[in-house]
Amino acid sequence: MAYVVTDNCVDCRFTKCVEVCPVQCFHVDERMVYIDPDGCIDCAGCVPECPVGAIDDEYNLPDDKRAWIEINRDRAAVLPRLTGGMEPLPGAQQRKAELGL
Amino acid sequence: MGMEEKIIGACPQDCPDTCSMIITKSDGIVTGVRGNPDHPFTRGRLCAKVNNYQDRVNSTDRILYPLRRTGLKGTAAFERIGWDEALDEIASRWKAIIGTHGAKAILPYSYLGTQGILNGLTVGDAFFNKLGATISERTFCDSGACTAYTMTIGHSAGVDPESFVHSRYILLWACNTLTTNSHHWPFIEEARKRGAKVVVIDPYRSRTARQADLHVPIRPGTDGALALGIIHILFRDGLVDTDYVAQHTVGADELAERAQDYPPERVAAITGLSVDLIAELAHGLSESQPSVIRIGVAIERQSGGGQAVRAIACIPALVGSWRRPGGGLLQLPLWAFPVNWGTFLRPDFIEPEPRVLNQWKLGAALTGEMALDPPIQSLMVYNANPMVMSPEQARIAEGLLREDLFTVVSEQFMTDTARYADIVLPATTQVEQEDIMFSWGHMYLSYNNRAIDPIGEAVPNTELFRRLAKTMGFEDPSFYRSDAEQIADAMLWDAPQMQGITLERLKREGYARLNLPSADEYAPHANGHFATPSGKCEFYSSMAADGNFVLGLFRQGYDGQQSGEPIDPLPHYIPPQESAESNPDLAARYPLNLITPKSHAFLSSTYGNLPHQRRQAGDQSVTLHPDDAARFGIAASDRVKIWNDRGAFEAVAQISPDIRQGVIVAPVGYWPSLNGGQATVHAITSSRYADLGKAPTFSDNLVAVERC
Ligand code: SF4
Repeated sequence: MAYVVTDNCVDCRFTKCVEVCPVQCFHVDERMVYIDPDGCIDCAGCVPECPVGAIDDEYNLPDDKRAWIEINRDRAAVLPRLTGGMEPLPGAQQRKAELGL
Repeated sequence: MGMEEKIIGACPQDCPDTCSMIITKSDGIVTGVRGNPDHPFTRGRLCAKVNNYQDRVNSTDRILYPLRRTGLKGTAAFERIGWDEALDEIASRWKAIIGTHGAKAILPYSYLGTQGILNGLTVGDAFFNKLGATISERTFCDSGACTAYTMTIGHSAGVDPESFVHSRYILLWACNTLTTNSHHWPFIEEARKRGAKVVVIDPYRSRTARQADLHVPIRPGTDGALALGIIHILFRDGLVDTDYVAQHTVGADELAERAQDYPPERVAAITGLSVDLIAELAHGLSESQPSVIRIGVAIERQSGGGQAVRAIACIPALVGSWRRPGGGLLQLPLWAFPVNWGTFLRPDFIEPEPRVLNQWKLGAALTGEMALDPPIQSLMVYNANPMVMSPEQARIAEGLLREDLFTVVSEQFMTDTARYADIVLPATTQVEQEDIMFSWGHMYLSYNNRAIDPIGEAVPNTELFRRLAKTMGFEDPSFYRSDAEQIADAMLWDAPQMQGITLERLKREGYARLNLPSADEYAPHANGHFATPSGKCEFYSSMAADGNFVLGLFRQGYDGQQSGEPIDPLPHYIPPQESAESNPDLAARYPLNLITPKSHAFLSSTYGNLPHQRRQAGDQSVTLHPDDAARFGIAASDRVKIWNDRGAFEAVAQISPDIRQGVIVAPVGYWPSLNGGQATVHAITSSRYADLGKAPTFSDNLVAVERC
């Protein structure tokens, strides 16, 4: 019952999503962000903000991305909460280009 | 693929947020929706209900053509017919009923399945008033709170929800903001960043309560006692703004005397809260200025709900919080909108002695239990799904099965009510219709531009009633106004709130803030100016003398034949009808209090049939405290039966310490036809009224639970 960050975020971490999240439910590590599924209110505000299309509704995820549901839950539980945007990781633009976006 | 095009619309749901939406279409097909990032209140976000609105529009389950029943009632056996045929049949049946029984034998049943000013609450009122049908008294939502509010502070917009950023102490009372008013949350968060404290009063730890600084887990239905306990402490501890009270209120001495009856020890025993906690609330509301109270609709759904709102509405004046922006009470900013209601209600069409029927009595009215003369021979349902959202579900089903009842339902989907219809008429979704929208959760007037032509033969409600008027031979030209003409008539464009707002601008931008002071400056009652008979905040209500009433807006514009039961002019506590304290015999058989909040994924019953929302919501659930689960031998995920003398439904058990012991929580909105056991929450609720405004008592239930 939540939105999920998937692999396109890895090594990008643009964090535009974090800036619009009304409930501050993003958590962060060195490589990407994760959504706490218990905090997420399903507003979808973050989806169009992500420059690399990394975020989707749990129920829209294709089979090969469904593992990210658990990863988001597990990682969000142990990582610090992010309350504002950060600089994208070095190489984020390049990775975005590689993704064809 | 054709060019993608974007259209600005507005969400049609009966939700305070009225989000500005951007609809994407391609080749005449709606391909997506998103929130409009420019809108200052809704800020680019929608919600779990509406994020995939395109799936609703394009669903293969849509009703796209008129249908006539071919099989048994309730079995959804229909054949497609043409509009002319459908209208002819309606006209001939209605004319026959009018000839035999009179027009009062026809009952309209509707609420806010769509909320636009044209297509929403009042869309059929002029038609049915002219027809002479029974007047439908619609007290679904906030009617009790409105009566209480009107008696105390008048038709006030109250605090601007955006002003909450200036609040220092925010009390969310019976309001699960993150589920039912989620766009308000960022303003609350911003206040918190600036140092405000956020307190949530709710019998269970809702997702909003989990985010709060303090959760007050009150016993259901005892909010009035808590409010009076707070008032007691305000007087006792010298926390009253005596200057404000002297200038802008009526009845402070009487209220102080009344509050003597509610010492904290007594209130603690009633509410299940500690004396210290009650004192903390009183001191917080008084000492952290400006303080603000946001009440949710849930508060009225108790036997004493109206008087609870009366007591709560006194608090901001007592502590003087109205003095500053961000202080006071937020209930229903709807009153800020200068809607030209009269043009839609047309009370002048009402005959001298009409009949009024409250919508909670549908089951009793249809089954004949009410012994109405004439009996209801025809029911027309639009913007509503009473089989899911009205009490006494089994009795309604029994009534709808009557062979001699002619039922017409206008719908987008084959709802559990439509299944019983004789004629079903296809209704458009919001992207297929034009409308202008008020909000009851912010100060922006919105415009919904039609994005696509109606699909199939669906029509907007406005067109439905144009067609019905023609079929019934009405001559008054007002029945034939186009949508554009109705939009031009919809607002009092000369009102000060509308200064600077033109229709052209509204269409282009999708929304406009009413011409009010900015949220940083808006303090509507800093100098009193309450819209009550005395112009003051009436602790001692002068309107109480006329007895209980429902606002005309909820009764097709009719103000006569009010029930007028006596009202105590001072706030007081009315205990629940069904609790261990008030009814120990009943509690011996039915030991648990059931409360019925809104589901996160449904908007009342809307979306209760869509695959995406159903997956998210899961099956009808009921949540129990671990001690109650142990006591009744229930494990998580067990299928359980919940019942009382009125009925039974099945649900999947969830177990959580987030709920008070002795209370269970089952969200509403699930459709019986899609829920095992063919029944949902309203199988066990009663049609009893709350004390004021004929609000329902949906959270005043004792039930028993056992494993299936
Ligand atoms: S249901 Fe409410 S929150 Fe959701 S999109 Fe509509 S107005 Fe916004």
